[in-house]
Amino acid sequence: MPHFFFNKKLILLLVGMVFLVALISFSLRDRTNATLPEQIIKDTVGVAQSIVAKPANYIAGVFNNIDSLLNTYEENKRLKARLEEFAAVQAEATELKSDNKKLRELLDKSESLKEFNPIHATVIARNPDQWEEKIILDKGSSHGVEKNMAVMTAKGLVGKVTVVTPFTSEVELLYTSNPNYRVSAMVLGETEAYGLIEGFDKERNELIMKRIDSSLPVKKGQQVVSSGLGGIFPKNVPIGEITEVSTDDFGLTKMAYVKPSADFSILDYVVIAKRSTTVVDGSDGSATNEDLTHPPEASKEEEK
Amino acid sequence: MVRFLIPSVAVLLFLLEPEFAMLSPIEIKGQIYYLVPRFLILYLIFISIYYSRQRAVMYGLFFGVLYDVFYIDIIGLYSVLFPLICFLAGSIVKIIHQHLVVTTTISVVLVAILEFILYQFFYLIDFTSIPLSDFLRSRLLPTIIANALFLMILGWAFKYLINARVLQRAREVS
Repeated sequence: MPHFFFNKKLILLLVGMVFLVALISFSLRDRTNATLPEQIIKDTVGVAQSIVAKPANYIAGVFNNIDSLLNTYEENKRLKARLEEFAAVQAEATELKSDNKKLRELLDKSESLKEFNPIHATVIARNPDQWEEKIILDKGSSHGVEKNMAVMTAKGLVGKVTVVTPFTSEVELLYTSNPNYRVSAMVLGETEAYGLIEGFDKERNELIMKRIDSSLPVKKGQQVVSSGLGGIFPKNVPIGEITEVSTDDFGLTKMAYVKPSADFSILDYVVIAKRSTTVVDGSDGSATNEDLTHPPEASKEEEK
Repeated sequence: MVRFLIPSVAVLLFLLEPEFAMLSPIEIKGQIYYLVPRFLILYLIFISIYYSRQRAVMYGLFFGVLYDVFYIDIIGLYSVLFPLICFLAGSIVKIIHQHLVVTTTISVVLVAILEFILYQFFYLIDFTSIPLSDFLRSRLLPTIIANALFLMILGWAFKYLINARVLQRAREVS
């Protein structure tokens, strides 16, 4: 076919295909941050999106209110039952708190992995095609948001920040199929068992917690919270409740199915947790292997 | 006035899509169904059919790039698929009658094709691992139903708006 190479349209199409594949593979690469034109587009669309999101959130709120109004009677019954326990628990909590404070003073240890500065953010969009589980928030690096920070609702952990631009940030939700997504977690009990939240079971709609030491007792119904050992997440953010325990693929460690405590279906307001204690480059971090356990004095001063 | 109405409706639909996406997924009897709003591409298909194929492809490219950068972070996916779908729609309509029922059907079929290509792509790059049957049941079917409903409600309005623009243009020319 001598005419083949002279067909301009065909050559244009081929060049276009090559360009396309190059572009897709460039953007699929594990990029640490958005490029400048991307940031500009993201911020512009983000601003427009947050204007539209306000009335939309309002309307969604009205529907939620109606929904909760319908459940009022049953909820009231349940709450009354729990109210009796509440007084006792509260008294115990205050006592423990003051105890804890005194002991901390005794030890001269004021920093805690639990403490964090909350940044309140509104969800302005959810990835409409829903292949990747992502939400977009209206707070960005100019508000102090950084990559890999924990994002949660009042009920529990929802995900972590993956991309930050000056005025928006993107959150990858916990139930993603991304194999590199890990959260260091622990099971609350008499002896704390540590493990990693790794992956999500699509059929059961539950998270999978792996790498739990097999010598430790882990039971159904126990609470799972973040351990804060990953380096960036604060400690004690609730993740969920164990529904089933089994052994790992190789039989060396235990694994557990965890039912997430946060409600993922309606997310409108979330809290980004900026940990007060020094952030360490760990498994939740970008793994650059920098020695951050002994940070330079200058950066410590800045944080205060 | 009508001149600016066409792109502004497209912008509005673009911004509304993620708000509707927040309503999904829905759970019925323990089964989870994903409804993917595809309002923008439906509107662009209508532009392609009733107004101008070239214009629709240009809009498709523009919004495709926005879509890629803002939501997907894979540049070159929607920015190719949107113009391609618009081009297909514009080409099909040259053979077929332009009745509203026919165009609605074509639009829904094209959206289904778009959804299927996207599934294949994400399956290829390991973003998803759901089998084909699950995809058909939990995603494609509910999406088709939801978008067909949307088009039944608003299709005539799109057609009316675009026709107004076409008439205006004809008057300008004469």
